[in-house]
Amino acid sequence: MKLKLYADRMSQPVRAVIIFCKKNGIDFEEIRVDIAKRQHLTPEYAEIIPMKQLPAIVDGRFKLFESHAILVYLASSFPGVADHWYPADVFKRSKIHSVLDWHHSNLRRGPTTIVRNTVLAPVLGRPLNPEAAAEGEKFLSASLSKIESVWLKGNGRFLLGGNQPSIADLSLVCDIMQLELLGETERNRLLGPYKEVQQWIENTRNATNPHFDEVHKILMKAKEKLQNPRMKGATNEGGGSDMKRTLHSRI
Amino acid sequence: MKLKVYADRLSQPVRAVIIFCEVNGIEYEEIKVDLANREHLTPEFSEINPMQQLPAIVHGTFKLFESHAILIYLASSFPGVADHWYPDDVYKRSKIHSVLDWHHSNLRRGPITIVQNSILAPVFRRPLNPEAVAEGEKILSAALSKIESFWLDDNRPFLLGENQPSIADLSLVCDIMQVKLVGETDWNRLLGPYKKVQQWIENTRNATNPHFDELHKVLKELKEKLQN
Repeated sequence: MKLKLYADRMSQPVRAVIIFCKKNGIDFEEIRVDIAKRQHLTPEYAEIIPMKQLPAIVDGRFKLFESHAILVYLASSFPGVADHWYPADVFKRSKIHSVLDWHHSNLRRGPTTIVRNTVLAPVLGRPLNPEAAAEGEKFLSASLSKIESVWLKGNGRFLLGGNQPSIADLSLVCDIMQLELLGETERNRLLGPYKEVQQWIENTRNATNPHFDEVHKILMKAKEKLQNPRMKGATNEGGGSDMKRTLHSRI
Repeated sequence: MKLKVYADRLSQPVRAVIIFCEVNGIEYEEIKVDLANREHLTPEFSEINPMQQLPAIVHGTFKLFESHAILIYLASSFPGVADHWYPDDVYKRSKIHSVLDWHHSNLRRGPITIVQNSILAPVFRRPLNPEAVAEGEKILSAALSKIESFWLDDNRPFLLGENQPSIADLSLVCDIMQVKLVGETDWNRLLGPYKKVQQWIENTRNATNPHFDELHKVLKELKEKLQN
């Protein structure tokens, strides 16, 4: 009764869950659901997850979606997960909840909005929308400012003054990583002013490597393909079985 | 070491926190921070919450903001809070987390967008914006459809097929109540198609009265004031 994880590594919250599992030795089966091919909108997937969202897990008969809920569930249910990921201490835990909540209405709306309206627009069958991208940039900058002035205040290497990462670090850093798709120049322009944020991203990466780099490989390959349109080659490498094949094999 | 709740009852998440305290007999001091007068933007309040948002709590030296985090903290820290609000059972608890997370990106943006671009626009010195209102209505309808078809079970009074309310019911219902500000006709138009949602709102209200009605008085009073 292995944990099943429905995943597309192009999705930031999916990556956070995968890295968390790998880092904590949680055994899981990764089942690929290709967002670009709209596989998450198929009736087959809706049978499993009626809300059609990724990531989603199935643990025995228990189904769950929303990455923060999943990370909290995994931290609470699997033995051997170190306390710093989701501390038992109610005060530390509550602060982590407040970061995760803040994230939804703030940082989360930055990278996704920029990327969907620029480099990923053709892949997603959408028109380019520089106005929407500019809005996304405003969200991103405001959020990065707040991360530096509030969440990274103090002498810790991670959010909330921590010296070890929590699920909040993983969730937020994976989101910011989506900016890689824009290419070096754009990414540096957007992140340049925020030295502490850059250090924190590096800290989180180091604390979760080699898994962090491995899980982000697909993003880096996609970035190369987008920046060099004449480059051929698949971007859908990375772990897990393809959902289509898995479903067809069940018919 | 009494709990301090920084509040403006005009705010939906503030109401959820106060109703929760009242229903569970949690003693607190309510400190008004007037949103219309921009008191949340003062340096004094920034000391309490650097994000300059409501609600925020101070409990001894512990400060916390974001209403879902606050509700979880209160449910976890105060004795006498019944288990159904935030169950110990990891499966039930996780489902509640998924509703609360979903809320941020789905329902939450509906009522706020409608109300801030119509009836509350002058209060917050914004122009009326019928296009934004229409967008807000789309977000609201999509969210209500999902609540009706997925989060609400046919035969159970509360979200996730439960027989008693959780912090998720309180948070989401307080948000929908904001739509009362636009008047009965629009309320009936927007909520009309969703019979289960209407019943669920009534169930949540009954489970938390008289505090629910007491806290929502502010909406009635404001609506009357703005219409005159």
